[in-house]
Amino acid sequence: MLSEILIIVIRGIAIGSIFATIAMSFNIVHGATNIFNFAQGNMFILGGFAAYFLANQVGLGQWSLMLLLTGLGIAAVVAFQGYITLLPLRSSVEQDSWLISTVSVSVIVAALLMITQGPFAYSVQSVVPSFRIFGTRTPGAYALAIAAMIFWFFALRFFLRKTFIGLAISALSQDFDAARAAGLPVRRLQLIAFAISGLMVGTVGFLVAPVISVSPDAGLKYVLNGFVAAVVGGIGSNAGTLIGGPLVGVVAMLTAYKVGGAYQDLASLLVLVLILMFRPQGLFGRVGARRV
Amino acid sequence: MQATANVQTGPVSMAETKPKGRFNSDLTQVWIGVALIGITGFGPMIAGNSYWIHTFQLVNIYIAAAIFQNMLFVDAGQKSFGQGAILGLAAYVAAILFGLHGWSFAAASLGGLFAAVLGGLLFALPALRVQGFHLGFVTMSAAIVFPQLLVTLDKWTNGINGISVSVPALTNPVVFGMSPLSIAVAVFPMIALFVHYGVRRSKLGRSMFVAALSPEAARSLGIKPGVMRFLAFIVASIGTGICGILYLPTVAFVSPQGFNIELSFVFFFAVVVGGRGQMLGPIIGIWIVYILPNILLAGFVEYRLLMYGCLTLLAVMAFPDGIVGSAERLRAKRKQSGGGEQAFRIDGFLADLQAGKTVREPSDEIAVEVRNGTKKFGEVVAVSAVDLKVRKGEVHGLIGANGSGKTSLLNVLSGLSRLNTGSFMINGVDATNMAADRIANMSLGRTFQAPRIFSQLSLWDNLKIGMDARVGPASADVTALAKAMEESFGQDSATLLSHGQRRLVEVMRTVLKEATIVLFDEPAAGLSQSERTNFANLVKFLSRQMGKTIILVEHDLDLVWGIADTITVLEQGRVVSSGKPDVVAKDPAVQHMFVGSRHA
Repeated sequence: MLSEILIIVIRGIAIGSIFATIAMSFNIVHGATNIFNFAQGNMFILGGFAAYFLANQVGLGQWSLMLLLTGLGIAAVVAFQGYITLLPLRSSVEQDSWLISTVSVSVIVAALLMITQGPFAYSVQSVVPSFRIFGTRTPGAYALAIAAMIFWFFALRFFLRKTFIGLAISALSQDFDAARAAGLPVRRLQLIAFAISGLMVGTVGFLVAPVISVSPDAGLKYVLNGFVAAVVGGIGSNAGTLIGGPLVGVVAMLTAYKVGGAYQDLASLLVLVLILMFRPQGLFGRVGARRV
Repeated sequence: MQATANVQTGPVSMAETKPKGRFNSDLTQVWIGVALIGITGFGPMIAGNSYWIHTFQLVNIYIAAAIFQNMLFVDAGQKSFGQGAILGLAAYVAAILFGLHGWSFAAASLGGLFAAVLGGLLFALPALRVQGFHLGFVTMSAAIVFPQLLVTLDKWTNGINGISVSVPALTNPVVFGMSPLSIAVAVFPMIALFVHYGVRRSKLGRSMFVAALSPEAARSLGIKPGVMRFLAFIVASIGTGICGILYLPTVAFVSPQGFNIELSFVFFFAVVVGGRGQMLGPIIGIWIVYILPNILLAGFVEYRLLMYGCLTLLAVMAFPDGIVGSAERLRAKRKQSGGGEQAFRIDGFLADLQAGKTVREPSDEIAVEVRNGTKKFGEVVAVSAVDLKVRKGEVHGLIGANGSGKTSLLNVLSGLSRLNTGSFMINGVDATNMAADRIANMSLGRTFQAPRIFSQLSLWDNLKIGMDARVGPASADVTALAKAMEESFGQDSATLLSHGQRRLVEVMRTVLKEATIVLFDEPAAGLSQSERTNFANLVKFLSRQMGKTIILVEHDLDLVWGIADTITVLEQGRVVSSGKPDVVAKDPAVQHMFVGSRHA
């Protein structure tokens, strides 16, 4: 019994690591643009499809190459999406347009996948062997999910603090107008942020493809859980997502175990509403000063 | 500074009476909309083809739901992606009560409507705390979870098999071959259109709109943004719930697949493609987003979602105002719209209001008193142990360098932020812990550094927001002023106003509100010299002729010294000097402020 719970918690943490990485990919775009990309879940699933078509049952060498190509490819797709999302914002004072365009891109990607691949879940062979933990075989991709979260956390931390471009993106999230006035190429930096977010979700989608449902309609599930993880951790706080993601993952797994798999999304929704009602800044976020 | 400068006479109505185009075409659009709904509502019945009758009944129901989505999304600013779930909730609860439990259709409908309102309240609950994309995610998750629950809770919902119903009393023809249902389905979208128009023209509609665009401005006008969001969700869910009730006998079947997220997207996308905020938008939007893929291109039904997405993306990229919005923009450009806003000048108002007023001097009663007030932001002490007394009817200047705590103090006084320690009273009533809207209702008004002007409203509606914020009935001269302004500026756009005029709009709001205490936050910033002179006259007038208490935060020391009765100098959150202007000017503690000024 105890070990069952332990296994569930470990799987929850692994699934939650995926949510955490998606949440971090939200954060970098949100910091640079104030945009929340509703299509991020579908971009993640695209990574899963890439794994199915490019790297199913191949050797480690080709797999690694394809991982890199998938990451770069999806980074390009998301950067292009960012470009068209930012276009109407150039002139218009209307700030809802990004909400509409990212939602419609999300619908378009899901519809394209549905038309070309059908409403099926594709299964992908893992290149990393499974391992034993508490006497149970655990797929290797779970370990990859946690490793990817940790990797991206430190990579982002280094990037945002130590590199010139990263510091410039950090400056954008601090004060947009000041950054522009200081002569930073705002639009280019924003596109880089979009590209990085694509690189993150693309690679993670590729890595965890063996343990997720690679199907056209799965994107929404991941965009929502990623968002819940971001909110629980506090929007903008990457360290917060390290707690928020696994927390949401464990809640989802425990719900599936205790109540039933059909209630997983409901559980995430409840977590989201509870956090927003009682601690809208998230567990680790800070309340900003009011500007009048 | 000469405070009693010459006032150019001339009534407000001096705007030339050239024929103006309407500021917007809302009413015209409502009538065109009624005609279009009539076509889809009654046309197929006249043609007598039962397939078309059925299809267009569904179209009309969706049009009504999209109209409520439009109101919720634009007029109330609530980004809900879950209206399809609200519709489904009403339909499903009614189907369960009617089809599975044998309730009468009327009672089951009431049950369904009740469920829809409950669902709307559930959406409104997080909307009290968060807005924008947060709410978008919450409502979208709800729309995803809803059909899942319908499947899982099969004990009550029949699960994946759905529920079939038949309501012959509603579907049998009674007059001219029309059934009560088909009449209801044809008429309800028209009612929805009038409800939307009525809400928009009402005080409630304007308050919702202001609350959505500028919560601070709304609260300083006595509006509770949370209450506005609740009301918006309730109105929208009643309307959408009725759509669900009509859906049930129309389709005669409910199943979880009928209410998946796609339905919510249809309503949302229809509003965007048709034209956000346009009365006609949802109708044209449903025609394009729903009719085009589902009826004209029915052979490509699997491409439906792709078409929704592409149409919407195209709309945002190519014509962000939507189809109706783009047409409306062309209309507004072609017609001579507005032009009367040049006449929106201070001198006109002064002349209108001045007649028969006697000069009053400030009394010794205290209007506003701050005792030992401290406001911190984290480690930063913005306002530090401030004591301040403002007499009734006086002009009280609050000066100091940037960051000295002037605006922070104004925000405390108007209730937008709270003191950490200390207290303040307004007209002898402790207001330390009062919310901004309660303070506003104690007859306090304020302006903002960046004027809160709403380009979607006409110039007069921008002013009328102040009228809406009144606590009691209007006095005779304010009523007369309001009438004159409505005639002059009812069809003018507020976007063409100069910077000085924008500030004047905010000032006039407080005049129409008849606020007895008015807080000005850097009102002269960005004004020309002549505008400053005019503004000084206005402030004098508000204080001396109308008896208002004025607290003026301003950097233009000449202006402040010209009109203030008392001046308080803040430095790093502390009061360093306070008293009559000539006394303060000689205070050694403030001498350094006067470099370059004639008071040096």
